[in-house]
Amino acid sequence: RGGRSGTELRKALVSVWLQCPSITRIYTVGESFEGRELLVLEMSDNPGTHEAGEPEFKYIGNMHGNEAVGRELIVYLAQYLCNQYQQGNESIIDLIHTTRIHLMPSMNPDGFEKAASQSGELKDWFVGRSNAQGVDLNRNFPDLDRIVYGNEKEGGANNHLLNNMKKAVDENTKLAPETKAVIRWIMEIPFVLSANLHGGDVVANYPYDETRSGSTHEYSASPDDVIFKSLAKSYSQFNPVMSDPQRAPCRKNDDDTSFTDGITNGGAWYSVPGGMQDFNYLSSNCFEITLELSCDKFPAEDTLKTYWEENRNSLVNYIEQVHRGVKGFVRDLQGGAIFNASISVEGIDHDITTAKDGDYWRLLAAGNYKVSAYAPGYLTVIKKVAVPYSPAIRVDFELESLVERKEEEKEELMDWWKMMSETLNF
Amino acid sequence: KSARPNPPGPTLFSCKVKEAEPEQENDDFTLLKSLAEGQRSKETNETPVRESLEKEPYFPDESDSTKNRRLVEDYDSTKMENGKYQDDPESFRQVDGTPLTAEDIVQKIATKIYEEDDRGVFDRIVSKLLRLGLITDSQADSLEYEVAEALQDLITKNAKNNEIEDLGEDYPVTRGDQDDQNPDAKGEEEERKDGLQDLQYFPNFYRLLKSLDSEQDAQERETLITIMKTLIDFVKMMVKYGTITPEEGVSYLENLDAMIALQTKNKLGKTLGIPGIIPPTGKTPEDDDNTKAEAAKMQKEYENLKDSTKEEAPSTETRDHPGKSEIYLEAIRKNIEWLKKHNKDEGKDDYDLSKLRDFMDQQVDSYIDKGIIEKGEGETIKRIYGSL
Repeated sequence: RGGRSGTELRKALVSVWLQCPSITRIYTVGESFEGRELLVLEMSDNPGTHEAGEPEFKYIGNMHGNEAVGRELIVYLAQYLCNQYQQGNESIIDLIHTTRIHLMPSMNPDGFEKAASQSGELKDWFVGRSNAQGVDLNRNFPDLDRIVYGNEKEGGANNHLLNNMKKAVDENTKLAPETKAVIRWIMEIPFVLSANLHGGDVVANYPYDETRSGSTHEYSASPDDVIFKSLAKSYSQFNPVMSDPQRAPCRKNDDDTSFTDGITNGGAWYSVPGGMQDFNYLSSNCFEITLELSCDKFPAEDTLKTYWEENRNSLVNYIEQVHRGVKGFVRDLQGGAIFNASISVEGIDHDITTAKDGDYWRLLAAGNYKVSAYAPGYLTVIKKVAVPYSPAIRVDFELESLVERKEEEKEELMDWWKMMSETLNF
Repeated sequence: KSARPNPPGPTLFSCKVKEAEPEQENDDFTLLKSLAEGQRSKETNETPVRESLEKEPYFPDESDSTKNRRLVEDYDSTKMENGKYQDDPESFRQVDGTPLTAEDIVQKIATKIYEEDDRGVFDRIVSKLLRLGLITDSQADSLEYEVAEALQDLITKNAKNNEIEDLGEDYPVTRGDQDDQNPDAKGEEEERKDGLQDLQYFPNFYRLLKSLDSEQDAQERETLITIMKTLIDFVKMMVKYGTITPEEGVSYLENLDAMIALQTKNKLGKTLGIPGIIPPTGKTPEDDDNTKAEAAKMQKEYENLKDSTKEEAPSTETRDHPGKSEIYLEAIRKNIEWLKKHNKDEGKDDYDLSKLRDFMDQQVDSYIDKGIIEKGEGETIKRIYGSL
């Protein structure tokens, strides 16, 4: 069967780190139910730190333990990036210097072990899918879709809908340890773009996954439908199988009517509540899509090379998508960073927020936009921007605080009073 | 930003003035305020100039400069002269049917090795001899020693006649093995000095030799020296014929010394290690370096031969995880190679190995703490770095 064991996975990651220690770092976001580390290999020119203005990216594989292709491809990708970097590949060097890339080959190592230990050619379609507790991790995330759909009708926030981390996550007994670990990870690092890797079909799936009406199939567009389609296509177009319009469905009776150009809206394909993809978009600034990479969930070892060839260009090109839209800094008049300022785009009902250095990255398709920056206690600033397909346009904001404004007004009045009193000899 | 508003008339702060009418005062204050706001709103509707993406400087082109391979311009025609035997070099009789003397055999083998640039010749012949029961194991050992000597002579002879490319100042041409011929003739110290002069550039090998100072070790010492010198000469030959560049030759020999250190450490410093960690022999797209393949082959063959004559305790670490150590070693080697090349390209000083080692040790400890790698793995990695 195809795929490294847990120890071999770790060995592969450690080898990449040993070969490229100046641009890599291994860390763990937590443990699985059975105590396996959820390992991440990060790649950047300054591993271990967020550099102001540098966007963060992640790939997560194997959240369904029996969907193994993503797991292997992520390891191949790590090796590829390291080798290419050392061989002087300029675009890879540039990518690593301007992005912080996080690679998690397996979010469900317990499930993988179970799936891998099955004997015989044909693996059960479901064994190893869920974690060791029997939880399907891609149905386990807090359902924020329901909340946003409610807010759409009745008014309310359009972003960062996970309130009360303590209650919703830390003390939530329904959440698997793997889910909790990933949620904390998402909250801690200001991810901008992400993809989670699956198997069982071949398509790039984008939000929303859960249908608005609750029906099983219904196109459920997010406010960022335009850029999401563009992002999904940026992956599928380089994968010859995914983008093949003549491709037969994986199984005879599969319904792939929602697939066009190798992409599909989640809800249009089939409704998924509690998924990680939508959770990213609705709880944080991260835009995530779901990549289905193989008809066969756990194919034989000798097919992995082919899957790598099919996906290599897509995998690299998708990371590069993080450098699109508008990006910059929101600062106060003294040049200090304003953390958690909101960046709003007219016509798109989804705001993003600035990270701790006041830095933000707003993915946008090409077009003309009015972008505004707002923070409580400050006066909103609006700017018009013409955004190309790529690269990202730099737009910085200097916000004046209300207090400052008041002080200024007071000062103006004082000056005037002084002048008047001098003139009139008060 | 702080342009003074035009005062419409005598307007006053309520707190300052006693006489002003409250109504008028409020109106004026509002007016002032709106004037101020008017100023401000003009300033916010700016259309920003499109700024280009702030690009971080990155390294200039690091693509591999083509490894210059010299043409085999100076093909050594004297080789032909020395190696001309009309009979089959691998048979054991002279043309006229008289059996070969031991010395003849040694010469023939040495010549064949020299001509074919292939130490495998020796092994093929010796295994044949052993199979036929013509020689014993210990005789095979002596034979090896003598063939090495003869080979040395051949090389030296030819080196004198042709220009041999120096590998740089570090590796002077060996001046034959007059020192090794009679190990008992000279005093110990003198002998050591002479025999080991060329090997001073291999600190780890040198140390290993020094540790073999007992009577029983004498034979082994000599053999090791001979083998090492033979290897050096092979490398020189390959450089001479343009098979590898001088840099590659030097790099290979440096790696060899490092390998010896590693093996020596594994064996607690006394005997030369068994194959557990050998330089990677497979060709990867990255390194077209066939010297490593050659060296590994030679080393393996040497060690195979050694195995039959000596009992050695296997290193448990390498027994249990031969794959892992190899893979890690290969990865570390690639990093060091890249660092060397990268710093050279940048015009920087050579990378600081001790700093790198300290950093990696620290990281390894941290990773062990966090459960990212196992203690054994960590030890392996530290050991590899320690031996560099």
